[in-house]
Amino acid sequence: MSAHKCSETKTLDVSFCQFWSGFCGSVSLCDFEVNFNFYNFKVLLYECKKVKVRKKMALRCANNIGLRLLQQPATGLLAPLANSTPTQIVRHRKTKHWNPKWKLFRRLKVMKVDLPNYREKPEDLSEEQIRSKLKEQGLLPPRPWVERQFFIHSTGAVFEPYVPPEGDGKVSPVSKQGAMQSIQFLQKKSKTMMAIRKLRQFEEEFDTPDFCKEATKIYIKMHEMMAANDKDNIIQVVTERAYPEVMNNIENKTIHWKYIKDIELPRVVHARCTDIITKENIFAQMTVRFHTQQILAVYDRFGRLMHGSEIIAKDVLEYVVFEKHIANQYGTWRVHAKIIPDWLPPREPRATTYMRREEPIAEPEAAVVESEAKAQASVNQSSVTSPA
Amino acid sequence: MALINVQAVTLGLKHYCPVLLIQLQKLHSSSVNLAWNNFRTPSRFLKYNEKVYPPQSSGEEPRPAFVCHQRTNIKYSPWKMWYVACLVRGMPVDEAIRQLKFVEKKGAKDVREVLEEAKELARKEHNVEFPSNMWVAESFVGKGQVIKGIRRHARARHGIVEYFHCHYFARLEEGKPPKHYYLPYPKQPHEQLEEWLEEMRKRKIYDSL
Repeated sequence: MSAHKCSETKTLDVSFCQFWSGFCGSVSLCDFEVNFNFYNFKVLLYECKKVKVRKKMALRCANNIGLRLLQQPATGLLAPLANSTPTQIVRHRKTKHWNPKWKLFRRLKVMKVDLPNYREKPEDLSEEQIRSKLKEQGLLPPRPWVERQFFIHSTGAVFEPYVPPEGDGKVSPVSKQGAMQSIQFLQKKSKTMMAIRKLRQFEEEFDTPDFCKEATKIYIKMHEMMAANDKDNIIQVVTERAYPEVMNNIENKTIHWKYIKDIELPRVVHARCTDIITKENIFAQMTVRFHTQQILAVYDRFGRLMHGSEIIAKDVLEYVVFEKHIANQYGTWRVHAKIIPDWLPPREPRATTYMRREEPIAEPEAAVVESEAKAQASVNQSSVTSPA
Repeated sequence: MALINVQAVTLGLKHYCPVLLIQLQKLHSSSVNLAWNNFRTPSRFLKYNEKVYPPQSSGEEPRPAFVCHQRTNIKYSPWKMWYVACLVRGMPVDEAIRQLKFVEKKGAKDVREVLEEAKELARKEHNVEFPSNMWVAESFVGKGQVIKGIRRHARARHGIVEYFHCHYFARLEEGKPPKHYYLPYPKQPHEQLEEWLEEMRKRKIYDSL
């Protein structure tokens, strides 16, 4: 190819570029410079025909180096023009008409369809995007749901999560702390007696040893229902507060739980009565100390042992809070919570390993909230898996 | 909803083009517009994740854990996706994810994400201690929603443009992958010999004693 021919092509292409601004580029090759159109080489041919300049060789050359050149960044005379479009258009299909005047008509032949975005989740969208979407569809925004449901069949907390100190929790009565502890114990005990007296106003034949027997039955029934994953009936033995804690983390698991015997007889260690909203609306809470022998084996979905053992019985010391709506004629004693004293020995660690997540350093305020939440979570978890 | 739209447009058009207005009133504009919004996603495959197996005794070999995962209505052709699904079948998960990074197909990204999600799911919900110790036991494609558009042809005819979507399903199983995923696997020379001998001994020689 001679330099003369190339220069003709170049001049032609310059005029063309002004028309199709943005699709042109130039590249310097060896000792000559070829300008070509990025969009379509055949367009170039068409232009050549129009001005009666048919340079077959130049075209063949341009076609040969076509793809290679298309990939290269534009340099040379027309670089600023080429840079005006950031994307380069590469055509692989040869089935379209070479004349770009049909491009628009080709497009008009196909009906435009708005394909739904299945990956889109409403929670990922910003408020503004949701607003514009609703507007597009002519919908009114949904009304905010401001109602809050209340349930007054049970209370939301333990009135006084107190456990009389024993074992490691006991301080020597000679010291000042020990004296304080015994005074506190006496105070709490007197209040407990008063609470039981109050309870007798509603339930005349209330007797503490009888109650302990009943409590044991409820305790066993609760565990059996939990092991059987009896979601519907467990509410008869568990309050609404304890329900999520009891049912947490047991889906797709097989739980084998067995109550073997009492090591010590269960006894009431604490009792409180509190009225809520009105004076007559009284709830009673009893803390019962259970020292029992139990067997627990937890299997995962595939029947593999996750926790505990089928043969090893363990001694379990638990302080379980029972609650009753005594103002209600049909109220029943139900398991309300479990108190974990701080002097209890630490729980056995998990058998499996897991990857530790690096948590981002939070603000001091947030950190406090988080630690509280964690403490709550740990309490919840420990209350669910009983003998550990 | 559509009614409100039509009303809004009619208000605007009233002063301009009565012909268009009549056309607009005849427009059928209700649930048909939403025909493809009422799609159903496959749910049976994920039901396998809820099956609870009976407890095993201590002497038994532990049952390998598995997790099923899917992604529905991916905007990709199910026939093209088949190649990607076949590629990862019977591979260790990490190897599959590594291989998929080099597949220059649009569907490879979705498949990779599904496998990564399944790994995470296994660790979180299915008591799998090391999700890297899993292999792709099943990997297959389903046909999803097909949305149809119209294309103009010559001589007052029309064609239908189909916009295909596909579902991708994967099941990861704990342990090492088998040596041969597909059956019948290629036979070893001594196996071939045995088979040939068997065949020879079994043959019937006609008109013999």
